[in-house]
Amino acid sequence: MPSRGEPIGPGLSAPPAAAPQPGPAENRPRQTQKEATRNRVIEAARELFDSKGYQGASVREIARLAGVSVGSVFTTFASKGEILAEVMQARLEALYAELDRVLPHLRGSTADRLRSMFAIHFAFEAPRTRLFLAHIVAAYDWTMPAGARPFGKTPRLQDIIRECLDKGVAEGDVDPACDQQEIIDLLMSAYAWTYRLAAWEGADVATLTSVMDRQIGLIAQGFAKR
Amino acid sequence: MKHIAPIQAAGETVVKVPTRRTLAKLQTRAKVLLAARQLFSEQGYEGATIRDIAAAAGMSTGAVFANFADKSDLFREIMFVDMTALTGAMREAASRGKGIDDILLKVFDAGYDFYKSQMPLARAAFSVGWSRQDGPALRAAEPALDLPAVFAELLLAAIARGELGKEDEVPLRAQMLFDAYLSNYPQAIFEGWTLEALQARSRDQIRVLLAGARLG
Repeated sequence: MPSRGEPIGPGLSAPPAAAPQPGPAENRPRQTQKEATRNRVIEAARELFDSKGYQGASVREIARLAGVSVGSVFTTFASKGEILAEVMQARLEALYAELDRVLPHLRGSTADRLRSMFAIHFAFEAPRTRLFLAHIVAAYDWTMPAGARPFGKTPRLQDIIRECLDKGVAEGDVDPACDQQEIIDLLMSAYAWTYRLAAWEGADVATLTSVMDRQIGLIAQGFAKR
Repeated sequence: MKHIAPIQAAGETVVKVPTRRTLAKLQTRAKVLLAARQLFSEQGYEGATIRDIAAAAGMSTGAVFANFADKSDLFREIMFVDMTALTGAMREAASRGKGIDDILLKVFDAGYDFYKSQMPLARAAFSVGWSRQDGPALRAAEPALDLPAVFAELLLAAIARGELGKEDEVPLRAQMLFDAYLSNYPQAIFEGWTLEALQARSRDQIRVLLAGARLG
């Protein structure tokens, strides 16, 4: 498992319970129990953030649904914001596994490869649009500690876009002089803002994807080799 | 109210003379709005309560509720005042620009300058704007729609001047410019970027987003 971002909670990069790491024997049962609590809380939180939004879901409700005490939620996570950050992180594992599988097979122009990559994102997030929105709202939440702020913690997505652009430079359809970070930021903001169509107008995956395709077209005009 | 001349009703039109009562009410509203702006800036939207706002304005919660339906109503009122002022500031900034790149940069700049002393309020605005409950009423209102419309107007004017080519993607390009403008707020809010840093970034974003529309 590649490490990404700063680990937010204890055990973030711990291996799954099925393959316990050999460690100090006396620590293991406790570690496993903590891990189980953590997973149950994340599971319950995912459901509640999705159905009630970030503000609407209380830590008490999350604890009740997870079948653990409020106290043990707080010994595992520092805040509700941290729980959300971990829910989002956990969901990304599956997305990145899918991307790792598909990316080597993408063909076509740089714009087309980017389109395919973002289409995978939209298809993946579609059943969780409300959760994604809870995430965006929480990014601006006043009470969230800076360390748990979820916004923009997607270094892996940035790496994928960068690889895509590098390949384009090598193949000659991306201007080597263009500022790649600038392009990456524009693509990521276009991606994030496209979700407003889902949030505000109930747009489906096909609509989101086609709007993103056009946006990528416009951004590609900005990085095209002249 | 001796200093206010009585207004003659012309024909059937009834012109309302502000009574002492209406003036007092306006004054109360202004006081509440001022206190609310202060508290939303300090505590965010969720953190500020009507009770705190009433206390800061030196009145009862009842008096606040006599003027505003609820907290979201109060917040919207503040946002509308700001958005209208910002739209004006952006148009004024645009009129000082030379060429579409410079015009857009001045518009971005006017926005960041407008909010630089009240970033916490901008943060609350994003939070409310995206929220399921209070977002729709804030976003659908006229002042909120006027703001992105400025960008489309400027692109159309540049096409009319022959600076940019005619194209079908004006609305999308305008939307993306507006999104780029908004996308820099997290840097401004959370990372304390200076106006100069925001300006440098905006300039690059504008260049990339206009590339396909340029003539020649």
